Amino acid sequence: MTVPLGAFIAVSAALFFIGAAGVLVRRNAVVILMCVELMLNASNLALVAFSRRAGELGAGNPLDQRGSVFVVFVFVVAAAEVAVGLAIILAAYRNRPTVNVDEIHDLKG
Amino acid sequence: MPIGPFGIDPVIWAVLRLVIAVGLAVFLVLNGALAQIFLERKIQAVMQDRVGPYHTGPFGLLQTFADAIKLLSKEDIRAKLTDAPFFLAAPAIVFSPMLASFVVLPFGRDFVGANLNVGLLYLTTLGSMTVLGIVIAGWASNNKYSLMGGLRSAGQLISYEVPQILALVTVVLYVGSLSLVDITNSQPGLLVNALILPMAFVTYLIAALAETNRNPFDLPEAESELVAGFLTEYSGMRWGVFFLAEYGEVTVVSAIMATLWFGGWHGPGVDALPVLGVLWFTLKTYVFVLLFMWIRATLPRLRIDQLMGFCWKVLIPLALVNIMASAVIILAFADPRLPLAIVNWLLVGALVVGLPFTQRRRLLRFRSRTRESVALRDVRLSP
Amino acid sequence: MFDFLEPLFFALFALGIIGAGACVVVLRRITAQALLMALTFASMAGMFLLLGAETIALFQVLIYVGAITILILFGVMFTKQDDRPYGLFFQEQTPWAAALTLVIALPVAFLALSFKDPTTASAKGGDLIPLAASLFRDYTFPFEVASVLLLAALVGAIVLVKRDEQ
Repeated sequence: MTVPLGAFIAVSAALFFIGAAGVLVRRNAVVILMCVELMLNASNLALVAFSRRAGELGAGNPLDQRGSVFVVFVFVVAAAEVAVGLAIILAAYRNRPTVNVDEIHDLKG
Repeated sequence: MPIGPFGIDPVIWAVLRLVIAVGLAVFLVLNGALAQIFLERKIQAVMQDRVGPYHTGPFGLLQTFADAIKLLSKEDIRAKLTDAPFFLAAPAIVFSPMLASFVVLPFGRDFVGANLNVGLLYLTTLGSMTVLGIVIAGWASNNKYSLMGGLRSAGQLISYEVPQILALVTVVLYVGSLSLVDITNSQPGLLVNALILPMAFVTYLIAALAETNRNPFDLPEAESELVAGFLTEYSGMRWGVFFLAEYGEVTVVSAIMATLWFGGWHGPGVDALPVLGVLWFTLKTYVFVLLFMWIRATLPRLRIDQLMGFCWKVLIPLALVNIMASAVIILAFADPRLPLAIVNWLLVGALVVGLPFTQRRRLLRFRSRTRESVALRDVRLSP
Repeated sequence: MFDFLEPLFFALFALGIIGAGACVVVLRRITAQALLMALTFASMAGMFLLLGAETIALFQVLIYVGAITILILFGVMFTKQDDRPYGLFFQEQTPWAAALTLVIALPVAFLALSFKDPTTASAKGGDLIPLAASLFRDYTFPFEVASVLLLAALVGAIVLVKRDEQ
């Protein structure tokens, strides 16, 4: 009995909304970054599930892995984003020693 | 579903096989670690012109057992403010990837746990998970020296993953497969990959020394710096687990080197008797383990900035040049072995010759700069 | 004979993903959150294995657990994390956030669970060779652009945290 495709998509959607709720509610900048990573992971799962289970280009063309290729690019972008995001957090932390986004809302000083 | 021996039910035999395999792997790894600890002490002793352990058992063979019993019977000291679940989980996170690496190593002709078609990628991935355990160990000890040691070690490990992966990619480009069994089968006879790709081998050797925290890259766990770094708060068997993880990792890395560059289980007499492959594989692995111990007894330790500078400014550019040249050669020539060998040996020569040359120039420049700053200071102090 | 294994592993991994994800959002200790995030990533890699994408699964562990978690732990350790309650944990945004999320989530969940499996056969076999073929033949240019992106991120991150040396 194989797992239906809808189950993977449901898990992906659930994780995406958990991550979205985290981004909206939490105040710690690093935690917000972590929740963004959760959202990216959810989209990765959806991409890979569709790519492996419902490929286009005719019935079961094994060479169609466009979803998986896109997932590789999402990995790259996520890694770059975490690096730059943490650099920004550290640079802002040097200015005013807090990671609470409620306190870093002024552009000046 | 194969029926087990003595007619055991296939279901039970499948589960039993798994349990036996895991138990055998743990047994082999732990005994290998014990053997290596003993070998290390004896070899270092011989190289340092002393005797080493000789009291317990004949030739001190039971010394490691005595050490293990001592570690097991030690009191479990834990500082009060340590983060308890992470403090306890860190040795497990460092030990498990090492244990899981043994499943893809080909010990003999059909003696491989799982012939993954992404075997090499699997080994690389497991190597990168130990970093997490070390960072957690440093953090959870609630000790500034542990934290610094853990972060420094993490920085060193993730820096040296890059030349390690680049060296492996060179071999994969040449062989055309990520599977360790295919790589072993591509080197029959004497024409091993070390003759064709020595630069990749040297890069991987140096990166592996750094990845396993061995001398000359063992700053994070040296006793004279940072009070044993991230291991400071661990005593007794918890420290023993870290130690075992390090020796297991040394075995894994030596096994990878033996497989990728020296033919793995190939050797005289393997065609007739396949079990001999296990013997050749183990011998080749232990040659590299002994090489690691030899290097440990000989070379002094590098500072953290020297270590990082060497990685990013020397190893990575050379490894990248190697990959580019190898890729071009493999595409251009039908039989790429000779041009690859030429390029690789040239790069090895460049590393061996160029390194003392550039270091000497840096040293002379540093000396002249210190001389002028000392002269300036004397000028200022004089009335 | 062992048919129950695939749904069992799916349930385990789904539990890991959703449970750890929820803990990341709800908990207060930041190191626990970072490690539970690593657990989410590892369970996600397990999901990828169930789908037959082993290369993507190994990349997931290598990049997310091996590098991004370390990056976030470094970020945590270099900044001082306040533990004080600072007012309500769920402050006044929570009802709005919950309402918005539910309004969008319910239709999406309904849509997700109503997926029928496609009638075309799915890709069999491993994931390595098709992925490599697509990535390095059809999508070479995006691949190179991605490497330039990584270079830019590397340089940018270094520039951002560099202190001004006098």
